[in-house]
Amino acid sequence: MATVMSNEHTDEAPPRRRAPALPTQLLLGLFLVALVVYFSVSSPYFLSVDNFRNILLSVAVLGVVAVPATLLMVSANVDLSVGSAAAFCGMLFAVVAEDHGLALGVAAALAGGLLAGAVNGGLVALIGINSIITTLGMLSVLRGATKLVSNGQTVGIDGFRGLGSGSLAGVPTPVWIFALVAAAFVVLMRYTAFGRGIYALGANPHAARLVGIRPAPNLFALFVISGGLAALAGLILTSQLRAATPLSAEGLELSVVAAVLLGGASLTGGRGTVVGTLVGVLILGTLNNGLTILNVTSFWQEVARGGVLILAVGLDQLRRLRRD
Amino acid sequence: MFRLEVRGLYKSFGNVPVLHGVDVDAVGGRVLALLGENGAGKSTTVKILAGDHRCDAGTISVSGRPVDIRSPRDAEAIGIRAIFQEFLDAPQLSVAENICLGRLPRRGWRVDWRAVRRTARTVLDQLGVDLPLDRPVEQLGVAQRQIVEIARALVADARLLILDEPTSALAAAEVENLFRFVRRLRDDGVAIIYITHRLDEVAEIADDVVVFRDGRVAAAGPVTEFDQHALVTAMVGQDIGASIDLPRHPPAHAALTVRDVHLAGHVDGVSLTAHAGEVLSLFGRLGCGALELAEAMFGLRRFDAGTMTVADSTGQPAGPWAAIRAGIGFLPVDRKTQGVLNGLSAAENIAAADWSRKARFGMLSPRASRAAFQRWQEELRIVAPKGAGQPIETLSGGNQQKIMLGRWLERGATVLLLAEPTRGVDVGARAEIYRILSDLAGRGVAIIVVSSDIDEVLRVSDRIVVFSRGRVSAELTRAEADRARLTRAAAMKETV
Repeated sequence: MATVMSNEHTDEAPPRRRAPALPTQLLLGLFLVALVVYFSVSSPYFLSVDNFRNILLSVAVLGVVAVPATLLMVSANVDLSVGSAAAFCGMLFAVVAEDHGLALGVAAALAGGLLAGAVNGGLVALIGINSIITTLGMLSVLRGATKLVSNGQTVGIDGFRGLGSGSLAGVPTPVWIFALVAAAFVVLMRYTAFGRGIYALGANPHAARLVGIRPAPNLFALFVISGGLAALAGLILTSQLRAATPLSAEGLELSVVAAVLLGGASLTGGRGTVVGTLVGVLILGTLNNGLTILNVTSFWQEVARGGVLILAVGLDQLRRLRRD
Repeated sequence: MFRLEVRGLYKSFGNVPVLHGVDVDAVGGRVLALLGENGAGKSTTVKILAGDHRCDAGTISVSGRPVDIRSPRDAEAIGIRAIFQEFLDAPQLSVAENICLGRLPRRGWRVDWRAVRRTARTVLDQLGVDLPLDRPVEQLGVAQRQIVEIARALVADARLLILDEPTSALAAAEVENLFRFVRRLRDDGVAIIYITHRLDEVAEIADDVVVFRDGRVAAAGPVTEFDQHALVTAMVGQDIGASIDLPRHPPAHAALTVRDVHLAGHVDGVSLTAHAGEVLSLFGRLGCGALELAEAMFGLRRFDAGTMTVADSTGQPAGPWAAIRAGIGFLPVDRKTQGVLNGLSAAENIAAADWSRKARFGMLSPRASRAAFQRWQEELRIVAPKGAGQPIETLSGGNQQKIMLGRWLERGATVLLLAEPTRGVDVGARAEIYRILSDLAGRGVAIIVVSSDIDEVLRVSDRIVVFSRGRVSAELTRAEADRARLTRAAAMKETV
């Protein structure tokens, strides 16, 4: 009888009946379709295979870093240094390749990315500094390092066009890379103990710890992966431009966060999928492309991009509130 | 003189009645102790007085005038201040500012900081203590923070001060100090309601006592009219020793042993052994140290001293992951914040502790999780209308708890630590959980139940170790244990 009395603890209410509602992801997919329809009707140049290839190519670099960012967001962390890391690794590649050949250049770029990720991961996972603060600092450090390595100059590089400008079966190489990364992360997040552990950590860190999941090594690995893929993005960018510039990929981190949030992930962790992020990335790319074709100035494009993000996340929040 | 009269207080939460007609009188210049088991209705009563809950029926009057307490603000207006176990201070602000919190002296539109310090100093002098006025409250110990709260109540001109188990986190010397303040306030004419379940404290501090049992007043009167035996009888009622017989388990080899464990502030030299096939209960009041000991056995706290042996391996586990590898499972107190992996399915929740073994080269098949769910669904009678994939947060509390248990069955734990395993679980599910524990013990699992629920302990245990203030105060077999002995041992000040 004694504990029956202490019913501040009783939570035996039957599960709430939820109104059937479209999943947010499906809603976003519909929004993407609506965008495509709108632009197709508004402009004769939008609806073509070539243009779709353009859209995919334009978002490939964003996608390569947004996919690992999704898993980071599921763990309730953010890596804001991806843009700077991409620029830094691209520059490292160009500078090393100039003197020592392409292979060493690629190795240096990847090593730089992994190292930057390891520093982020060490500070967040082992010391416990908030990931926004850590990676905001790293954003600045790496951008500065990029300029230091190149003396602030653009460094041209020849003979490394395949990664950025090649194509296979009519599909540009960067799009292939994006697709491979996405496929790998679908598997990682759905079918591996590591991926499921990240979901558990993001949903309830305390409970996850009590089932034997160790937060530190898992989070550390996530940041290293993020750094490695930022390096890959930097290599693609350098290959596309045939040069590494100290200002490349500036602001990439904001597009990454926007795409991941558009895709239904939550800043507080536990929620987010690769498919959602793909839709988010495509919405951003389609919006850019369509507005450009409609001759809307880039100033308005920026406004539209931000507006879509706020609208989507706001609507999702409202639906969530109504449901609870 | 201040006189609070409470008559015929009724209160239910949902369908569960908590108070059935409670009468309480508190008078200025006297200390009234409210005594009772966990959940007997003491806390609910004072929360109504403090304006945190509203009563369903009953009257409250102050000095003959009926009052209506709708909010903490109303309570404050008639001079009632409550100090609960969770402090309501602003940790980052200074001692002086906290003491004046909510009524900072102003000069025009500006805060008059000199007056703030003067007020704080005056009140602390009145209590006869010296605290650093400028230090943030978070840097103080529990006892000092309590003093800050008492000082705040004085600034607010409290005529009735409610203290909810104020000594539960204090060391012996600090308790003496607190009692000094309480007596000083009493002598100044303040009425004091002192909630406790420690018999020794009642004798030491109270002038009057009201004993609660099952939402009713079981006894009331001046303290001098009761001896300890009378208080225990009133607390536990006459139905002493009613236990349902579950099959007994023959003792087997030692599964987990700890020796001379010290955890600063919680456990002070405890040794015990749990045997395979036995249900061992660690019984005691909140804060008695049993929960902290269990957490340390699972690697969640570091021993300050002491040794531990599980199966063949010696040494305290470095973390939960290491404890799990050694064959230990842990069911936390708060299922919502520490147990349930929300957003994940029922199946994943049941398989989670075993992921590390289920994964092949890191790959985890969803089928493995579903199989785990199906393996235990029938045996544990888990009700999940949408099957293995149903999100766990949409299941009822009892079913969630069964999944938390199933987690360790799936893992094949040989030692199971359970903290308050049936808190927040309805009566039906509770009986099933007891049955499952008994079955598990029958299969040779060593089960350690940490509980402050006397009925639970009497029902499930083969052996009971009673904790009081971080020490073992008694060790009883099921045959020796009854309500009175357990209650007395848990309220013991020193080891006997």
